[in-house]
Amino acid sequence: MADSIFRKLRDGGEEGELAPALTIEETVASPFALDVSCYLLANLSSSILAGKSKSEGLVLVTFSRSPSFYLQFLKQKGIFVSSSSKWIRVLDCYTDPLGWIDQPSPGVITEGSSLIKLHKCVSDLKRLFSSIIEAGREMVGDGKTRFSVAIDSVNELLRHSSMPLVSGLLTDLRSHAQVSSLFWSLNTDLHQEKVTNALEYISTMKANLEPFCPSSDGKRNALENLFLVHQDFGKGRFHIRFKLRKGRVRVMSEEYHVDQTGINFSPISSVETIIAATKSLIPKVHFNLQLSEKERVEKEKVVLPFEHQDHGKSTEIYDGRRTLADGKTEATPLSSGELQADVVSSGKGGEIIYFRDSDDEHPDSDEDPDDDLDI
Amino acid sequence: MAAPNVRTSSFSRNISVVSSSPQIPGLKCGPNGTTFISTGIRDLDRILGGGYPLGSLVMVMEDPEAPHHMDLLRTFMSQGLVNNQPLLYASPSKDPRGFLGTLPNPGSSKEDKPTAPDLDQGESLRIAWQYRKYMENQKSSIDDYSNDFDMRKPLERQFLAGRPIDCVSLLDSSDLSVAEDHCATFLSKFPRLCIISFLFDGHLLLFKLVNSSNIASIGRIAIQSFCSPLCEYSDKESEMLSFIRLLKSMLMVSNAVAIVTFPPSMLSPSSSTRLQHMADTLLSIKAIPDGDKELEKLLTGYKDINGFLNVHKVARINTQVPVILEAKTFSMSLKKRRFLALECLNQAPVDGSSGTSYGTSGSCSGSSKSGALDF
Repeated sequence: MADSIFRKLRDGGEEGELAPALTIEETVASPFALDVSCYLLANLSSSILAGKSKSEGLVLVTFSRSPSFYLQFLKQKGIFVSSSSKWIRVLDCYTDPLGWIDQPSPGVITEGSSLIKLHKCVSDLKRLFSSIIEAGREMVGDGKTRFSVAIDSVNELLRHSSMPLVSGLLTDLRSHAQVSSLFWSLNTDLHQEKVTNALEYISTMKANLEPFCPSSDGKRNALENLFLVHQDFGKGRFHIRFKLRKGRVRVMSEEYHVDQTGINFSPISSVETIIAATKSLIPKVHFNLQLSEKERVEKEKVVLPFEHQDHGKSTEIYDGRRTLADGKTEATPLSSGELQADVVSSGKGGEIIYFRDSDDEHPDSDEDPDDDLDI
Repeated sequence: MAAPNVRTSSFSRNISVVSSSPQIPGLKCGPNGTTFISTGIRDLDRILGGGYPLGSLVMVMEDPEAPHHMDLLRTFMSQGLVNNQPLLYASPSKDPRGFLGTLPNPGSSKEDKPTAPDLDQGESLRIAWQYRKYMENQKSSIDDYSNDFDMRKPLERQFLAGRPIDCVSLLDSSDLSVAEDHCATFLSKFPRLCIISFLFDGHLLLFKLVNSSNIASIGRIAIQSFCSPLCEYSDKESEMLSFIRLLKSMLMVSNAVAIVTFPPSMLSPSSSTRLQHMADTLLSIKAIPDGDKELEKLLTGYKDINGFLNVHKVARINTQVPVILEAKTFSMSLKKRRFLALECLNQAPVDGSSGTSYGTSGSCSGSSKSGALDF
């Protein structure tokens, strides 16, 4: 549940432990990590303002969107950020990450611009780390109060630095005493699997967005496939994996739905998952434990070779020899060398061919064969 | 050793004498002239047929979602310290010495209930001769080869103080030369094979490698999270492979055992497979999903299980006969919340055709639930 992630981030970690960290993974088919981050941002901000959170401030490091986008978004959600807000700081790595612009453009005056610090030189991660900590300390002071950190997108960080340095930065942030929680988003299609795995390695929670219909894998042949993709574009499944302390993993899933106002989460509604769950309970063996519908109907139809069936009349069962009462020659004559065996044929209607054990046996001889012994 | 004497035939056979009971505690003689040291976990010793053989390389594939490889390392290191065996520990943290504080203490003997009556009582009981040896085995729950470690209690100072423990941090080195130097100097203290040369009629020199029959001391090397993304060398896969190759070659001529844990998802599949092939004993850890109703039905004792341990390869030295284990997957749990126990899984029959390949159980992706029981 997205709520549980938010609660984990809000509550932060315990003293002496590394801060909980969340990776939000998106793909090209479901590029909604931004919506998820905004959702978490809004919730975290409101809880910080309400005083319900362990952290007292939030440092937002923006790489893929400008700070004004976020401030606008927060305003939409009813959270007003002014220059005197003491609970949020924004580190702007979007406008000028590599330090190409010498002078800031004069026309840009945004609300709360004193909160926004321009950060150039993104490739120097040590400086980035110290700027984040500095921004945090500006808000909460030097003591034991803690703040949360949100990194817009790690893809840009990875563009400018190598993987070990980026993981070093994130782990340093996690181990800093004043950081209570941390989250970042990542588009997994832009990097090798190793990179995604490495980021999952250092995080304690992993959320990923999966579209309903699987991506076309490059085979764009069916037009209907495109139509389905278009129809279901804003919807999909949201999977979360939590690493618990004992070494267990909690897996949760939800459905998400993106619209104008943002992202909404709802519990999984489809019936298919329930069936899939029960199917996997049955042990997978080489023989078939279940009967299909057709097989069940066939099974009902089979006439068993008992002379007394439940339906009140005695059944005539062909028993390999012609009885006196029976003058018909319905079945094909069998050779006398036929073994006495029960044969279940698998033909239509399920015939059972029954051969009596001996010719002397009268039909319906339920008597004890030892009865004729005179002892 | 055989000294070059004047003989009629210059060819002398050197029969190495294998002592039935080794001189130092903490060693056990195994088949084919190997000597075992304890893993630190009694159940694992039993599963592996005695312990880790000297001169072998043990590799443990981590699961990024579960910290149980640390327990394997901890018991290994504690066992070494209790048996007074020098230790080399390398990890990608800034202060590896801190890890020594988390090592467990051997469980106290007072808590062990005697499962068999004392031998003195046995005298009066007139036990048949062949059962005496079972009585003796049962009695020695406390012996000098292996200990049951209480994971909650930290290791006593007497085992830590004054012991030769070398800690190396893998973080700051950009390549593995520091680690290589430490390993080389450490292993040079435990040579196993000495070279004897003698003359053959004054013309040829014959070299003979002879097992030193006196094992002076044993060393233990523990390397944690070898391919961690925090290390700078983590993208130089060929360097990592050559380091392990070097370590393995040094181990073959030393009286030492090295245990290396690594997360296989941090490497490319080919490098991961190559590392797995280099191991003499290959284990892997798998996290268990929490709150999984299906698994709860399939496994008994689900609530106590912390994770799974898979044994992929067991070291066989000096023989071509492989070890075929009855079961390859074990559940890790804490007995009485203190003692690590490995148990065979009690579960419903599963598809026997799902073969184990080394790498599949190391995956950390959120795969379907049936993937958790891939054995």
